[in-house]
Amino acid sequence: MIKPGSINIKRNTFYQNILGLWRNLSIFGRVSLVILFGLVFMAIFAPFLTGHSHNISSGPPLSPPGAKHLLGTDELGVDLWSMICFGARVSLIVGLFTALLAGLGGGTIGIIAAYRGGWVDRVLMRVVDIMVVLPDLPVMIVLAAFFGPSLRNIIIVLALFSWSIPARLVRAQALALKEQPYIKMAAHYGGSTVYLLTRHFLPELFPLLVVSMIRLAGMAIITEASLSFLGLGDPTSRSWGLIINHAVNFRGIYFTPFWKWWLLYPWIFLTLLVSSLALLGRDLERIADPRINKG
Amino acid sequence: MYVKKTWQRVIEYALTFLVIITLNFSLPRLMPGDPFLHLSGEAGEIVEVYTEEQRRYFMEYYGLDRPMWEQYWNYLGDLARGDLGLSYYYKEPVSALIVRRLPWTLLLVSCATLLSVIFGILLGSFSAWRRDGWQDRALYLFMVVFGEIPAFLIGLVLLVFLAAGLELFPLAGSMSHFVQYASFWEKIKDILHHAALPVLTLTLARTGGIYLLVRNTLGTVLTRDYMCTARAKGLKELRIRYRHALRNALLPLVTRIALQMGALIGGAVLAENVFAYPGLGRLMRDAVFVRDYPLLQGIFLTLAVGVMGANLCADLLYRRLDPRVRTVDVKENNTRKEHA
Repeated sequence: MIKPGSINIKRNTFYQNILGLWRNLSIFGRVSLVILFGLVFMAIFAPFLTGHSHNISSGPPLSPPGAKHLLGTDELGVDLWSMICFGARVSLIVGLFTALLAGLGGGTIGIIAAYRGGWVDRVLMRVVDIMVVLPDLPVMIVLAAFFGPSLRNIIIVLALFSWSIPARLVRAQALALKEQPYIKMAAHYGGSTVYLLTRHFLPELFPLLVVSMIRLAGMAIITEASLSFLGLGDPTSRSWGLIINHAVNFRGIYFTPFWKWWLLYPWIFLTLLVSSLALLGRDLERIADPRINKG
Repeated sequence: MYVKKTWQRVIEYALTFLVIITLNFSLPRLMPGDPFLHLSGEAGEIVEVYTEEQRRYFMEYYGLDRPMWEQYWNYLGDLARGDLGLSYYYKEPVSALIVRRLPWTLLLVSCATLLSVIFGILLGSFSAWRRDGWQDRALYLFMVVFGEIPAFLIGLVLLVFLAAGLELFPLAGSMSHFVQYASFWEKIKDILHHAALPVLTLTLARTGGIYLLVRNTLGTVLTRDYMCTARAKGLKELRIRYRHALRNALLPLVTRIALQMGALIGGAVLAENVFAYPGLGRLMRDAVFVRDYPLLQGIFLTLAVGVMGANLCADLLYRRLDPRVRTVDVKENNTRKEHA
């Protein structure tokens, strides 16, 4: 990470950057990264990894894990491994798109607030304050109830309610940058707004934004899973939360052996995804923000 | 400066409150279709279709033909009188339903807040004093992972192992049914026995955040010069730790607890559904399933106001406790800490 104000003449290649990043990661960050890649691989190649359909019955209901059904089947005889592979798509799509929408939108708003200052800044920050106080999950429940729980709606609402986090972060950092001598100098030499933003602000703010987006993705995935668990998610998308919802609503599941695969495996995958995103996020936060090391 | 700033905060909260009310007011009006289309669609086997005339009659009856600002004004008036409308499904005033269910949610939330603060402080200071030792590292990893696992996943584990497997706790509900309690204490014991798992779930999910905050701020405080001064004065280690270090590290906690309130309420909604606990979260989900919109909105309003109230209290309390922040923006100060 380049310190604000330091002169960086030699630009690293993409490959070197990746390698440097890997070296900086702690052991937990590396493990998380590997797990995340595994899950992404699972989601992309889901049709090739599974021998059975993920939404049509392909065997006896509630059969335990075995040779034919790797992780067993649910109450309709649908293969659990297929459902989990395709469910990874839902989680990752929700995480990716929410993070992109909220991260880029919130980042832009943060830069605008910091750069323009004055009443624009004040108004935007008041809106952010309001967003911070609103309890996320109840808002999501209400909106899902009123507008119908399609995956697209969930992503839009999630983005609408999480842009405030990157906006605040980016604004704070951009405000600090604005006071840096080298940026003031560039402005005095007649650097245009576009030049300043693309050459000086964006490269400094980008790592921060990426870290923030990883956290956003984690939060979005958790919220989608929570909504699905409550039965308020998109009923057509077989997400992990929905599998858990079906399992929990199966009468007497806790007193049968069925939970040992039907509930356990989606639980494991969801926990793996969420905690590896969190650990990776923390690691990158440490790398991207040198202040934390001192704290 | 001090008074003015506080009033500014109060006005901000009033604005937020107005936004929530407006959201609540406009949601049903933004919904695709209109309430009468919906009523006719939900009638079951025989789909009733209102004629244009009937529809106009109902629109007039419910005042939906009035101009928007008049509807809005009436809505504000109703709220001021504590009238949240009538629940479609339970055929009862929404406010009465909420008042009946609210204590259970309050019980969960307050117990979980108390316990997570206690554990967070204890473990956080434990870690900070052994900074970078193996105990600190292990605890840190454990807390980071635990802090990120959503409440309902933790709750499911507790349910499977402690309630169903070991049968230590009841699976659902807030009290045993059809039981005559021998004494008042028996009743309390039963209630606590039922609340134990949901509270434990929320506590486990929330302790991580408080732990990290205490560990961080205490870590910063320990490097300050006045710690050195205290040592130089030859004060006892315990006195240094508790009177000088911990006390100063606890201030940001006040705002942090309030900021966490939103997440805690979300967690409570989930935990109540895992354990079929009859609080507002459970009622909220039920309301969604039977399409009881007035009830849903009433609960949302209650939860939002609760979270906001907690934030306002924390803001005011923080100003009382820390004379330095009377001129500094409290919120901003805190978020920076939160991300650190």
